[in-house]
Amino acid sequence: MLWQKLKHLLPSARRKADLDAQEELASLAAMAEPGELGNLTLAAENARAVWEWTWLTTVLADVRYGVRTLLRQPGFAIAAVLTLALGIGANTTIFSVINSTILKPLAFPASDRLVLVWETFGQGPNNENIVSAPNIWDFRKQTHSFEGIAIFDSSGRGYNLSSTAGEPEQVSGLRVSANFFSVLGVKPMLGRTFLPEEELPGKDREVILSYGLWQRRYGGDRAIVGRNIRIDGDDFAVVGVMPQDFSWQFWSDARQLWVPVGYTKTDYGRSDNSFLSFARLKPGVSIAQARSDIAAVAARLAKQYPNANAGMGATVQPLGEYGLDGLRRGMLTMLVAVAFVLLIACVNVANLMLARGASRQKEFAIRRALGAPGWRIARQLLTESLVLAVCGGVAGLLLAFWGSRFLFHLLGNDAQLPMRHITSIPLDGRVLAFALLVSCFTGIAFGLIPALSVLRTGMNEPLKEAGRESTGKRGGQLRHALVACEVALALVVLSGAGLMIKSAQELLGTAPGLNAHNVLTMEMSVPQEAIYNGPPTLPLFCRDLQEHLGAIPGVLSVGAVGHLPFHGNAGRNFQIEGRPPADPQKMPGADYSVACPGYFHTMGIPILQGREFNDTDTVTSPGVIVINEAMAHKFWPKGNPVGQGIRLGGSNGPRLTVVGVVGNVHYQGLDKPVGTQFMRPYRQAGWPIMNIVVRTAYAPATFTAPIKKAIHDFLPDRAVSGVETMETVIRNSTGSRRVPMLLLSAFSAMALLLAAIGIMGVVSYSVTQQTQEIGIRMALGARGTTVFTLVLRGIMKWVLAGLLLGFAGSLGIARLLGSLLYGVRPTDPAVLSSVSAVLVAVALLASFLPARRAASLDPLKALRHE
Amino acid sequence: MELLKGTLDMLVLRTLLFGPLHGYGIAQAIRGSSAEALDIEFGSLYPALKRLELKGWIVSKWETSEMNRRAKFYRLTPAGRKHLAQEHSKWAEFVAAVGNVMGPLPVPAVKNTGKG
Repeated sequence: MLWQKLKHLLPSARRKADLDAQEELASLAAMAEPGELGNLTLAAENARAVWEWTWLTTVLADVRYGVRTLLRQPGFAIAAVLTLALGIGANTTIFSVINSTILKPLAFPASDRLVLVWETFGQGPNNENIVSAPNIWDFRKQTHSFEGIAIFDSSGRGYNLSSTAGEPEQVSGLRVSANFFSVLGVKPMLGRTFLPEEELPGKDREVILSYGLWQRRYGGDRAIVGRNIRIDGDDFAVVGVMPQDFSWQFWSDARQLWVPVGYTKTDYGRSDNSFLSFARLKPGVSIAQARSDIAAVAARLAKQYPNANAGMGATVQPLGEYGLDGLRRGMLTMLVAVAFVLLIACVNVANLMLARGASRQKEFAIRRALGAPGWRIARQLLTESLVLAVCGGVAGLLLAFWGSRFLFHLLGNDAQLPMRHITSIPLDGRVLAFALLVSCFTGIAFGLIPALSVLRTGMNEPLKEAGRESTGKRGGQLRHALVACEVALALVVLSGAGLMIKSAQELLGTAPGLNAHNVLTMEMSVPQEAIYNGPPTLPLFCRDLQEHLGAIPGVLSVGAVGHLPFHGNAGRNFQIEGRPPADPQKMPGADYSVACPGYFHTMGIPILQGREFNDTDTVTSPGVIVINEAMAHKFWPKGNPVGQGIRLGGSNGPRLTVVGVVGNVHYQGLDKPVGTQFMRPYRQAGWPIMNIVVRTAYAPATFTAPIKKAIHDFLPDRAVSGVETMETVIRNSTGSRRVPMLLLSAFSAMALLLAAIGIMGVVSYSVTQQTQEIGIRMALGARGTTVFTLVLRGIMKWVLAGLLLGFAGSLGIARLLGSLLYGVRPTDPAVLSSVSAVLVAVALLASFLPARRAASLDPLKALRHE
Repeated sequence: MELLKGTLDMLVLRTLLFGPLHGYGIAQAIRGSSAEALDIEFGSLYPALKRLELKGWIVSKWETSEMNRRAKFYRLTPAGRKHLAQEHSKWAEFVAAVGNVMGPLPVPAVKNTGKG
C-alpha cells in the first residue's frame, strides 16, 4: 500500500497510470451507451487524485510561485532575508556554543556513570566539601554502588622539570590514586598506569606524561618509558604516556603529568580534607541509589569517628554536571536575548509582508473571485514566508559559521569547562537541525500575521477601490501594534545590557584593597610535605628572594604569598586564647595563607596596627600571625587584637600571637564580600605553592626575563609559571561577566538597529498611505509643523506603550541574569531610564525623516496622489 | 436512490466476489442486483476502483472480454476478501441496530383534548 503510493512519487509511474486510465476509460466508453457513463474527464481527474501526491505537488507549485513573486521584488526579498539572517545567525551562533560546551558529553567511556564524591557538612546548598583519604578508603570498603572510587589531590601543583641539558620548566601535575585512570576508563598510549603498591611513599617515584608534554619536551621519544626524568630534583621513572585526546582539567588548567598519590603522614588524618574524589557507578545503579548508599556509610562513619566526622555526610554528583552553572546561566540569558532579537526581526519582516500584502490585495481578490478559498491564499502567503525564512536560515548559518568562531575566541577560558577539552565549535547536525527549526518557526511567526489578515479581508472591497491600494485602518493599527512589541522586546535586551554594564562599572569601582599598579606576579612550586604546620622546605626562600630579586634595577620591593588575591584561599579553624573553648563543631575559622616579609608592603596593603612579618620571625622564634581588619572586628570588636593569641586547630594547637592588623582585601573576588583572614610567616609554616610579587618602578611585564634569570641563579632546579601583572589578575577575575556584557551590548545594538528600521518603515508607509489626508489638511491651512507633530505623535504613543510593556519584561531578564549582576538592582532607575531614553531617541530619529517628508508635502501634489 | 457514504467500496468488493469484472460490468452488476434502485455514478465508481487497487484489495489486468474486446478486469485479492468480510459484518450490525431503533412506523394516536 505504502509502496504503491510511494511508487507514484516517480513522474514516470504517474504518467504510466494516467495513460492506462485513459485507455481503460476509452475501452469502457466503447461498451456503454453514449453518455451513459457521464463526464469521463471528471472520472479520470478524480481517479488521478487517488495516486497523485496532491499536497506535495501543490506545495511545490506554491514554492515555485513564491520564489517567482519574491524575485520580482528583489529589494523586499533582500531586506527580509538579511534581517532574518541576522536573527537566525545570532541564535545559531549562541546555540552552537552551547552545543559544543554545555551539551557536550565528557570524553570518557560511559561518562554518564562517572560521579564526583563529596563529603558534606550540614544541610543546605553548597555544603559539598573536599574529602579526606581515610573516609574515601572506608567508602571503598563499605559502599556497594560503585565499580571503583578514585582519589586525587585537590590542589595539584607545579612540578619542576630539570635536566642537564635544557632549561628547567614548571608544569602542572597531579597526585592520583592508582585506579585514577581505570575508573575513568582510559588507557595509556604507551606503558602502563600506576600499581596499587605505588600509592605508598617510597615507591611513588613514577610519573605518567601527557601527550602534549611528551611531544613538546621529550620529542615524542617512545623509548622514554622506563627512563628516569628529574622532577623537583629527584629521579622519577616514566611508566606511561597518555593518549592525545585525554585531557584532565579540574580546578586547574589541563594537567601535564601525573604521579602516584604517595600518601604522606597528614593524608592519614581523617579530618585533613585535601582530596577530590570521583567514582564509577555500577551499571544500572541510579544517582539516587548511590546517594543513599554513600550517605548511610557516611552516617555510620560520623558515629564511629565523632571527633573528626561529627556532622559529616556524603553525596555524589554527576561528573558531567559539575561546573556548568555559570556558563549555563550566562548562555541561557544570551539565548533569551537573541531570541528577542529574532522576534524583532520577525516583526520587521511581518511588517514588510503586511505592507506588501496591502499592495497585493487586488491580486488576492481576483484569485478569490475566481474561486480560490481564503485559506488557499493564506497558505500561499505562508509558503512565501517559509521560503524567505529558509533563505534567511541559510544566510544565518553562514553568519553563525563566523560568529561561533569569534565567540569561542572571545570566551577564551570561560568556554573551558571542567574535563572537556574544547578546541572548536563545529556546526554539526544538531546545530543544523536547530537552524532549520528556528527558520521554520520564524517563517510561521512572521508569516502568520499577513496570512491571517488575508483571511479577514473580504473579496469585494479591494476590487471596489478601483485600483487604489487599501488603507484599511485595521491594517495600520496592526502595524503600529507590532512596533510597540518591537520596542518592548528591544527594551528588554537593552536593559539586560545596561544592567551588565552597570555591574561591570560597580565591580571596577570596588576598591580591591591593594594597589595593583606596577605589580608583577608569578607562581613557583615549592614542594612541602606538612602543609598546615611544618617548617618550609626552603627556610631561606624569602630572604633569597629579597636579596636576588631586590637587586634588579627598577625593582622597588619583593614579597611572596601562598594565595594570590582573587585566586581563592584555604581555611583554618582556631580557638581564641583566654576564651572558653568552643564546641569542636562551632570552632571559629578564617581564611588562611602564608606570606613572606615584604608581601603587604609590595602589594600596597596598608598596615593598620602593629607590624608585618620580618626576618626575626623564624622557626625558633614564637609563632606569629597577621590578621585582616575584618578578622579583628569579628573576634576582637572592642580592644586591641595585637598581642592576643590564638590556638591553631583547637585548644591543643600551637599558640600564635597577633602582631599586626592589615587592611581588607577582596580575596575571593571583587564581587564577593571580604572574608576574615589571617596569615603566618612562610618561615614558620611552609606552603607548596608560593606566588612571588614584585613591585617595579615602571612597566612590570618587562621585568619577567630578569626575574626568571635571578631565580635561576639561586634555585637552578625550579622554574616559575603563570607570569601576570596584578592588574591582569584583577581583570581576569571579573572575566565571567565580560562576555555576557559584550554579547548583550552587541545584541542591543542589533535590536536597536532593527527596531529603528521597523519604526522608520511603518512611519514612512503610513505617511504614504495618508498622503491625501495630509494634503487636505494642508489645503485647509494646517502648517508643516502641525503635520510634523501629528506624524510623530501617531508613532510615539505606540513607542511609549511598548516601553511600558518592556519594563515588565526587563524584570524577567534581570532575574535570569541573577548572580551575574553585581551591585545593581533589577529595577535600577538609572539603567531603566537611560535605556528608555536611548530607545525614545532612536524612535524619534527613525520617524524624523518620514515625518519631515510629510511636513514638506506640496498640498496640490498630495491631493492628486493615488 | 443515493448511496450512503462509504458503502460504495463495500458494494464493489461484494460484486467482485462472484468473479472478475471490468469497470462497466461492475456498474451494471450493482445496478442490476439492486433492481435498478442504486444508480451508481460512474464518476465516483471509477476513482473508487483505483483507490481499492492502491489499497491492495483488488488487482487489475487487461484481458479480452466475451465480446472479443480488450478491457481491464478487476478481481478480489485475499486481503480484499478479508476486508469485505469485516465490512459485511459491520454492515449487518449497523442495519440490525438501525432496524431495532426504527421498527415499523407506529400510527400516531389522536388525543382528545377534552374541551372539544
